[in-house]
Amino acid sequence: MRRPNSGVAGSALIWTILVITILSMVAAELLRVVSGKYYNTLHTAVWQESLLAAESGIDLAVVELRKSLYPAPNNAWNGWNTDGAGTSYGLTTIPNAGLASTPMTIEVNVDAPAQLVDASTSWQYYRIRTTGTMPLMGPARASDNKQDTHLRKYSLRWDRFTNGILSSQAVSSPRVSRRIEAIVRPVGSFDQAIMSVGALNLTDANILIDSYDSRDPLKSTNGLYDVSKRQQHGSIATDGSILNAGNAHVYGDVATNSGTVSGIANVSGMERDDFYQEPIPIAAPSWPSINPTPMVVSGNANLSANAVQGSPASRYMLSAVHLSGNQTLNLTGDPNGTTTYIEVYVTGDISATGNSQIVLQPGVKAKIYFAGNVAVEGNGLVNMNNQPGDLYMYGITPPSGNSGTVDIGGNGELSAAVYAPDFDVTIHNGGVKGTVDGSFVGKTVVMNGITDLHYDEALGSGGIVNNYKIVSWFEDTR
Amino acid sequence: MVSGSRPRQRLDRSSRGFALAELIVSTAIFSTVTAALLMGFISLKRSYAATTDFAINHADQMRISDYMAMDFRRAIKVDPPNRNDVYIYIPCYYDSTPAHNVQTPTLDGKGGIYYGASDCSITVHYYLSAGVIYRQESNNGPVALATDVQDFVFDTTDLGKVITTSITFKPTFNSSGATDTVAKATAFYNTTLLRNNRGVY
Repeated sequence: MRRPNSGVAGSALIWTILVITILSMVAAELLRVVSGKYYNTLHTAVWQESLLAAESGIDLAVVELRKSLYPAPNNAWNGWNTDGAGTSYGLTTIPNAGLASTPMTIEVNVDAPAQLVDASTSWQYYRIRTTGTMPLMGPARASDNKQDTHLRKYSLRWDRFTNGILSSQAVSSPRVSRRIEAIVRPVGSFDQAIMSVGALNLTDANILIDSYDSRDPLKSTNGLYDVSKRQQHGSIATDGSILNAGNAHVYGDVATNSGTVSGIANVSGMERDDFYQEPIPIAAPSWPSINPTPMVVSGNANLSANAVQGSPASRYMLSAVHLSGNQTLNLTGDPNGTTTYIEVYVTGDISATGNSQIVLQPGVKAKIYFAGNVAVEGNGLVNMNNQPGDLYMYGITPPSGNSGTVDIGGNGELSAAVYAPDFDVTIHNGGVKGTVDGSFVGKTVVMNGITDLHYDEALGSGGIVNNYKIVSWFEDTR
Repeated sequence: MVSGSRPRQRLDRSSRGFALAELIVSTAIFSTVTAALLMGFISLKRSYAATTDFAINHADQMRISDYMAMDFRRAIKVDPPNRNDVYIYIPCYYDSTPAHNVQTPTLDGKGGIYYGASDCSITVHYYLSAGVIYRQESNNGPVALATDVQDFVFDTTDLGKVITTSITFKPTFNSSGATDTVAKATAFYNTTLLRNNRGVY
């Protein structure tokens, strides 16, 4: 039997070991590089997710703020905590929301700083601070690039944001947190010249809608509409899908909620289909005390305004207002025309036919709530201030399934802002020409005849708060 | 008489040296195997280097994109963007103390708010210079976000409410087969919604 050459066998073994060693080193290095890049990419994706979590916190806060606008009981802030100083605090964890079924944690603080109150409207802006946190999978290892580490600031050992403040504390497992501060401002109910929940129909090419700003002398003359200073914010919108612009002259945008617009030949602005606005319903006033007389108006009458806003002496509850012939309902204030306030709640219908009138005397600022139908002809509603922001009309939400009507017609002029999202609103003209300064919100809105609608942009800061809008957004990258 | 010469001893066949032919054949085989291994390792090394470069460049793309998106989101103003050069203005959210405390927001009377002084903003400048993409915040020194980026190009397009960013690079392959035709540029696109809407409320 021959013995193998031991020298040859040893050489082969050495070669084999050498090759395996080199290949193993290559494989190990490759694994190291690939795993590093893999975790870098994975952590980047989780970092992006944590921003989604933080922004979801803003949405959660705005939902609660919007709930608080609804008539009670609105269940706003249920499940949230308060620190007693006006800060509401909410913590939401959504299981399986992240990569590989990781949980998404959203921490939200909402407060109302005193310096964020608009003095002109008394509207409160809110500050929302929200932190989105996601767990990081894999080893607690920083990125192999310094700038990645500087940008993404993973919490591998210490958490940067704890309880909404910069107070580091040890973490049990790696995570990433991103923090945003957003300021939201109230949005008024009269943000558009016309807004309808359902169909919006401008039937006539002779209709004109434009805007002015009674606060700005460059956009108005003595606070009144001036055609030479016409503005392009007479926008109309529907939360529904049908808008017929009727070839009316619209100096502004037309918008639907994923719908279609027809008759836009004379629209100067943009056509949009991304409009969404859920109108806040109006509840019947619940005043603790009122001026008990009169209880109904069916002839000449005076209702007195008061220098103190919300005074029981200038709060009236009427079962109906029916005027005809030459009858007049005066809403009277100070003879000198200084500012006075009045609120009228009509539980039934309002009608002014023939030459009858409801007259808002100089200096009076009125809010008229109505539960029944409204029918006003000609110059049936006279606002002697000529400022639509001085005459707000609110249609109270009827029982479920019902809707009312608001019918404003004739050849006269009207300065008012009408918010009736549960009413079918018709603005029509039966003769030469009608002019309306103001804004309309209705369940449906129809305009016909020869009518000009001049939207006062100052109304955007008036009326009831209908929504909240982000006006400042900042990511805290400390 | 026996001659004085030593008797010839027959060597065992297995103990004999290589014949010339065997030597030549074994050397040829060894050379071939070694050359093949060498070429394999060189090829592996090139592939490894190219893959690493690609991964690094891709990470650079993501980093630049994420940095720019972060600043665009919180921008209150963006100067007309040019290729490889854009100025972004963000609110003065922090005060000037070393702790960078958050400033209190103030209403601007037009429906918006501001931090710090009413006209205060922080400038963030992104630009490409000598193969390096920099981010410079205010008067601080520029920070290199990515180096060796001679093939990088970033384009920003202002579409009003959104800004789109495109960052492209061409992978570097050193092997002879990787021509320009083969090495296509890789683009990374990002569309960022400007949360602050730039003063339009």
